[in-house]
Amino acid sequence: MRFALSTLVKDLARWRQDKSAILMWIGVPLLVGGLVTSLVDGDGGGQPSGLLLIADQDASFISGLVVGTYSQGELGEMITVEKVSPADGRARIDAGEASGFLLIPEGFGEALLDSKPITLELKTNPSQTILPGIIAEVTEVLLDAGFYANRMFGEEIALIEESASADVAPDSAIVAAIAVSFNERVQSAAPLLFPPAIDLTIAEPPPETPGVSVALLFMPGIILMAVMFAASSLAEDYWAEREAGTLRRLVFAPSRLPAFVAGKALAATALITALAVIVLFIGFAYHGVSWGRLPLSIAWIALSGLALYAWFGVMHLFLPSRRSASLVSSMVTFPLLMVGGSFFPLAALPDWIASIGRLTPNGFMADRLTTEVTSASAVTAVTGSATSIDALSWLVLAVMAGAGLLLNLWRLNAGFARA
Amino acid sequence: MLEVENLVKQYGELTAVEDVSFAAGAGTVFGLLGPNGAGKSTTIHCISGLLKPTAGRVAVAGFDVVAEPRQARQALGVVPQELALYEDLPAIENLRYWGKAYGLNGAGLDDRVREVLTHIGLGDRAKDLPKTFSGGMKRRLNFGCGIVHKPRLILLDEPTVGVDPQSRERLFDMVLQERDQGACVIYTTHYMEEAEKLCDSLGIIDHGKLIAQGTVDELRAELGARDVLQLSGRFPDAETAQAVASLIDDGLDDLEVLAAEDDSMTLALSAGSQHLPRIFAAISEAGGAVTETSLKSASLETLFLTLTGKELRQ
Repeated sequence: MRFALSTLVKDLARWRQDKSAILMWIGVPLLVGGLVTSLVDGDGGGQPSGLLLIADQDASFISGLVVGTYSQGELGEMITVEKVSPADGRARIDAGEASGFLLIPEGFGEALLDSKPITLELKTNPSQTILPGIIAEVTEVLLDAGFYANRMFGEEIALIEESASADVAPDSAIVAAIAVSFNERVQSAAPLLFPPAIDLTIAEPPPETPGVSVALLFMPGIILMAVMFAASSLAEDYWAEREAGTLRRLVFAPSRLPAFVAGKALAATALITALAVIVLFIGFAYHGVSWGRLPLSIAWIALSGLALYAWFGVMHLFLPSRRSASLVSSMVTFPLLMVGGSFFPLAALPDWIASIGRLTPNGFMADRLTTEVTSASAVTAVTGSATSIDALSWLVLAVMAGAGLLLNLWRLNAGFARA
Repeated sequence: MLEVENLVKQYGELTAVEDVSFAAGAGTVFGLLGPNGAGKSTTIHCISGLLKPTAGRVAVAGFDVVAEPRQARQALGVVPQELALYEDLPAIENLRYWGKAYGLNGAGLDDRVREVLTHIGLGDRAKDLPKTFSGGMKRRLNFGCGIVHKPRLILLDEPTVGVDPQSRERLFDMVLQERDQGACVIYTTHYMEEAEKLCDSLGIIDHGKLIAQGTVDELRAELGARDVLQLSGRFPDAETAQAVASLIDDGLDDLEVLAAEDDSMTLALSAGSQHLPRIFAAISEAGGAVTETSLKSASLETLFLTLTGKELRQ
């Protein structure tokens, strides 16, 4: 036992020298988790914004209303309006400096009131996709609104336009007349508008009980991916020891191989546990998972890491060269990650793949961790069933780890350490 | 301290070590001398327990390495031919780790590690990583890791391969110091001068067989102080060698033809330089011609040549 602890301390000291590997192990889940979270939980990457150049040659009350409309409400948050001369506007839209250029010709207001045809010039930036479309749509809606407003309130608008053109405050009698006229027209339209001809009922979907963040469903698989990468690297250290000659030197010492295997396994478990603590802490904090679930989750990942390390060790010790061991290790790892819920949560996979995935070592581990970090009822709501970290699960992992480590020891004794 | 009796190691049809027997006592350096592939390392691996002998017996400090491996290994310190260090662990931690592997702990371990660091001349580099060391420093640390538990038998398998002269001298001092402190050292090498300098007794091994053993003086006496004459040139038929051998009847009583090929001939004889003209004449009369001559005075190297008919470093 004492030599196992010495080996643990020795390996931790050696790994401390390899800071890049440790950063990679921690960085992979944080990076992948961050990307997944930003994709599935994010706000879509923010709102587009653009510049609309307007040359208002009419400079009337009505053309002012049109210009002002682009700066109102949510439209105003997307579009910045800048008044320009026609020449400047054309030059700048041709240079691609704005999302659109709108020319309101002289006589626009009068033409609208007199219901005479008039042409507005709208030029959009072909290198942009969203904002020019919005500007074109808004402009068309504005013109339609103007047409119908003129049909309903043409006389009143003409009076307002006249007062605005005179640049004097309208007479009180005129304001009162306009107000009365507006009221009468609305009153006459009321039977058509109230109550509405179509009764729209909005059916609210029932609240999701309990709510599960999709990104949270990804978390266990991503953590298991990091654990698998770390376990594979840690197991490859058998080759590093053999190539350094230290394994052979160990054979000269009296009966130290069992303690050596135990010590290396302890070191691997300690490193994987540290990885689990960091990643789970961040994941729990971000997703608001109950801290009470943290200790069991850490313990589960620690034992999972030990079991994976032991079997990656078997893979490395039984293959004839370091290169072939690394290759086979990668060839095994990636399909396991794919099926075992690391690239997509098991809940998102087709049932038949998910069934296979739950039988893989990492799928078995991720499935139970998912239940732990969410909750059994939440997982049941999504997947139809949930598997908790029960006594049998612990036993399966313990047997898996123990059997793997015994095979490690057997292979070292059988010649790997002596070569 | 070490007893090797009728040791045999076979790999299928190949016999790497054949019926080797020797013994070495405490406070002595025993050299195992032979060319590459002669069977030195296989013998060492059988002693260290790395290989299981096919037949024969090896006992370290009275313990059979097969029947009582734990006790035998506790008494044994191995300095392998290749470096066996943790390059990413400070020198002092390397020593501590290997000390613990042999059961040292606490103050005893700390004292011994300090002692070894001084002994191998790395006291001021104790906390540095071996990957920053020169080749010679790594060799010294490799030696230190093998002796940190104060073994009674130390196996050194060609420890000076690739070592600069200064580090080699330092290594010799360390070996002799261990011997003076009562350890038995088994030293394999294919450098004759190392064997002559360090070893109290020697075993010469070739093709897996121990072909001579004894103290350096005993082996020299066995040679009979003859010189070794190596000739290159043209020696067309067996008649040339016979013509040279006939000189034995003509007064060169201790002349011996060790090897004869079409283009080379190796002879052993006393006072070789005085008899060169007669030998050249005999070769010439038999139709041969000498183009190059090398005369080596009596030494362990010439003994090896006498015994095997080939250079030690071949």
